[in-house]
Amino acid sequence: MQSEKLIQTLLEQSRQIINRAESLKNHDLNTLTWKENEISWSILECLEHLNLYGDFYLPQIENEIKNSTAKTDIEFNSGILGNYFAKSMLPKENLNKMKTFKDKNPLNTKLDKSVIDRFINQQIKLLDLLNQSGNVSLNKVKIKTSISSFIKLKLGDTFQFLVNHIVRHLCQIDRIQVAMKKA
Amino acid sequence: MKEIIELSENTITIDRKEFLKVKGSIDTNIYYIESGSVRIFVLDEYDEQTIRFGYTDNVIVSLDSFMTGKPSDLFIQAIKKTIIKVVTKQQINKFLETESNKNLWIKILENLVIQQMEREIDILTSSPKQRYERVLKRSPQLFQEIPNRHIANYLRMSPETLSRLKKS
Repeated sequence: MQSEKLIQTLLEQSRQIINRAESLKNHDLNTLTWKENEISWSILECLEHLNLYGDFYLPQIENEIKNSTAKTDIEFNSGILGNYFAKSMLPKENLNKMKTFKDKNPLNTKLDKSVIDRFINQQIKLLDLLNQSGNVSLNKVKIKTSISSFIKLKLGDTFQFLVNHIVRHLCQIDRIQVAMKKA
Repeated sequence: MKEIIELSENTITIDRKEFLKVKGSIDTNIYYIESGSVRIFVLDEYDEQTIRFGYTDNVIVSLDSFMTGKPSDLFIQAIKKTIIKVVTKQQINKFLETESNKNLWIKILENLVIQQMEREIDILTSSPKQRYERVLKRSPQLFQEIPNRHIANYLRMSPETLSRLKKS
């Protein structure tokens, strides 16, 4: 698809993500730390998990954009692996539980509302990076994944992967809120 | 303006602090505020700089994006829960097919240009007191609708300075 269209789509998704996070700030700490059972995550744990991913990807993306000499491409062509990773992140109908990498597991760390602020700040940073990426090639700039530094994805795919991952966990937060009401 | 607002077929509600628009997005809508208040700001490095407000009965739009169809750096954020009627650019284009409507539109744009010129002088006025007085004279309603800290940012002064000026 057109690079500009991809960026506009991701900007719009980011806008909705920020708005969702702002609304979560209105809840009290009890609600935000409620867990359905011992090993399932609370709302804050979901957001902290996302923060950990942001910590890994955002500085790298910023660096690669800054140092890139590859000029903007009109067309973005999703890589086979990148496309696969991005799509696999999307929440499916019969939710498929995924294993979490140990260093990205937020379980039982001490969390408070500042987690939400940190998350929102990361989304604003992401907006900034999406805007900056308009000056470079979404195809040629490559980003190392958190799985392995030998696996690199196109910048365009990385953005989509990041956003889809966030959407996945926001759906999880929706389910947590539903479960809380029933409890 | 009323004729344009009547074109709206879509009313939306945004909660306090929700973003109607973020930096970099293309937004060709015209928004009429039925109730509530919003601010339009840009990010200057990491500082927010409010450039305009909208409250009950106002119309707001990211005019750059509206006119060019290109991305705009503006953020539009609700200050409190706000109900908005949305008019799309397609609706405006259809509206402008009539000669009398085109003339109305020209009057609206002329008005906007004058407002922009006033705002340009605001920003170039070095005395905080004068900046405050210009806006107070032009839009006294602003001080009823919008919290002080946002007005202070708009006037490019600290909230403390604004409080002091209001008292004197």
